[in-house]
Amino acid sequence: MIPMRARSRHIVAAPAVALGVLLAASACSAPGDSSSDDADSSGPIKLAVVDAQSGQLASLGDWEAKGAKLAVEEWNKKGGIDGRKIELTVFDDQGDPTTGTNIARKLDSGNYVAMIGTAESAVTVAMAPILKQAEIPNITSGQATALVDVKSPFLFLNGPTSTTYDSTLADYLVTTKKFKKIAMISNNGSYGKGEHDAFTAALKEAGITPVTDQVVTTDQKDFSASLSRIRQAKPDAIFIGSEEVEAGLIVKQSRDLGITAPFAGAAPQGTPVFIDTAGATNAEGTIVSSPYLSNEISDASRAFATAYKAKYGKDAELHGAKAYDGTNIVLTALKNSGGATGKKLADEIRATKYAGLLGNFAYDETGVGIFRTTIGIIKNGKLSAAQ
Amino acid sequence: MQVTLQTLVGGLSLGAIYALIAVGFSVVYRTMGLVNFAHADVAMIGAYAASTFYLTTHVSFVLAIIISIVVTGIIGLVIERVLRPLENKDFDLMLIGTIGFGTVLQAAATLIWGTTGRAMPSPISSGPLDIMGIRIRTYDLMVIAVTAACVVLLTLFLQRTKPGAAMQAVAMDHEAATAVGIHVGRSNALAFAIGAGIAALAGGLAGPMLYVDATLGSALGVKGFAAAMLGGFGSIPGAVVGGLAIGVLDSYAGDHFQGYSVLVTFLVFTVAIMIRPTGIFGERTVSRA
Repeated sequence: MIPMRARSRHIVAAPAVALGVLLAASACSAPGDSSSDDADSSGPIKLAVVDAQSGQLASLGDWEAKGAKLAVEEWNKKGGIDGRKIELTVFDDQGDPTTGTNIARKLDSGNYVAMIGTAESAVTVAMAPILKQAEIPNITSGQATALVDVKSPFLFLNGPTSTTYDSTLADYLVTTKKFKKIAMISNNGSYGKGEHDAFTAALKEAGITPVTDQVVTTDQKDFSASLSRIRQAKPDAIFIGSEEVEAGLIVKQSRDLGITAPFAGAAPQGTPVFIDTAGATNAEGTIVSSPYLSNEISDASRAFATAYKAKYGKDAELHGAKAYDGTNIVLTALKNSGGATGKKLADEIRATKYAGLLGNFAYDETGVGIFRTTIGIIKNGKLSAAQ
Repeated sequence: MQVTLQTLVGGLSLGAIYALIAVGFSVVYRTMGLVNFAHADVAMIGAYAASTFYLTTHVSFVLAIIISIVVTGIIGLVIERVLRPLENKDFDLMLIGTIGFGTVLQAAATLIWGTTGRAMPSPISSGPLDIMGIRIRTYDLMVIAVTAACVVLLTLFLQRTKPGAAMQAVAMDHEAATAVGIHVGRSNALAFAIGAGIAALAGGLAGPMLYVDATLGSALGVKGFAAAMLGGFGSIPGAVVGGLAIGVLDSYAGDHFQGYSVLVTFLVFTVAIMIRPTGIFGERTVSRA
């Protein structure tokens, strides 16, 4: 009997030990714990670019990845950070928030130090809670005010918010050009909605009500109805809150309908994709509010454009410049903090003062580092400063 | 009134493209009882092929489209040949196979032409016609004319020629067709090739109206598929009516419901399909395998 009892005690003990191990293991990986992040401080520093590499927003993602890669390459050429190489991995979020959240979890388990991207505010907003919990600082290229509303100490913008873009634009249209009748057309996606709200607010401040306010869907192809309404309203200028391709189609169709008023918009309306889609003659005179009008604005931008052209054989543009700035800010913060991660790195980014292509970055509590855009006008198929 | 008519014009122009897509769906469906889910992506390849020949080799627009029809016709033959062993054995696998081909075509397009896509200038330089304040693009008129011509030719082919009659026979009863000496496989291959060719025509024509990139297929496919359903899957006149109806419906929904237009379009579509499950012209359902 006695040996029998002893054996049965063993049987009971084994699961108990296993349970103990499990408990200990789970205690180590409690949510928010980032002890594993500091484990590796000798190997390469892992940065991630998360952006659409396929789907309708793929061109944005492509520009972003190019800008980030260029920055990392330059740092690696100088010997990396404290002798450690920087390793950049590009993830494809397909412009889809669900895919984005899956990638956010991968970044956590893969011990990535920081993330560059995404270019789509909706994806970034979806990823933010996971990145906050994993304590991975993220510099996004989004500009929607929703990004600020997330209130994550780990989320930073590499450009101004829609509010800055649109108040500058509204001010130019109303004060400088003295336009009274302004029509609006925007899509109901996250970018379009953000632009719509920011521009409406800016107009209201200037004491102007839009003569017509048309909302279209993100995958709409025929805008006859909305544009006919705009044509009837006979506006002085038309605000457009939509991404490159759709905005291009809207402008092309509006010229076919005999609308001659100039269009006005933010960053997407300054891109070559927009100008190509609309057709150069149709896009002529488009008023653009942008923090990076051309590659000719400063010595830094000229150097960036030359390096970009040498590497990719293509002309640099705003999104590449933004990602380049954002990546440089992360790398500067990494260098200044001696390769810190998590909360320390986020604090270091917030403290970093950086003179970039878009201007002088100085982050505030909300994660916005730049508060200025300038007005440009499309002339002969190219964006150039107004006056 | 002006807005209403202008909206109608815009809806009809895009509707003509949806109609062509729907016709392609129907040609394959009436012959094989199979929905080719790769169809819209074949149209996307067609658009890319046409734009490539038009923009880089500077052939005329018509020639560029003809070349792209041939290219995609071959793709159609390849798809049919790969799926042929499954014919009459596992119908579900064939369906999934076409979905797989669609994904492959999208990936191939991204590999060949990159992610950015391209804008295609209109081949017709003359400006839009102005009829009492209603603007009609000459290019759109051409698209509508080409669609009409394509449908007439296809109908004549199916009714007046031997291969066309063989396709009809296979559609009605493939076993009886085999018994009278019709090669079912060849007939199916022809249907796939014609379907793919029409897809290329639709894609090529859509190029200058829209923006050519890897997602063009899904933009055209969903509405084209809905058009085929609405008209009665397998019916050629049904596909045309369905395409124009979806185009016009979409435009008016855009006017009245703004951001909710897609929701309204497909709600109306769903109600229409509930009232008449076989579509406007559908009188029978082909069931094979």
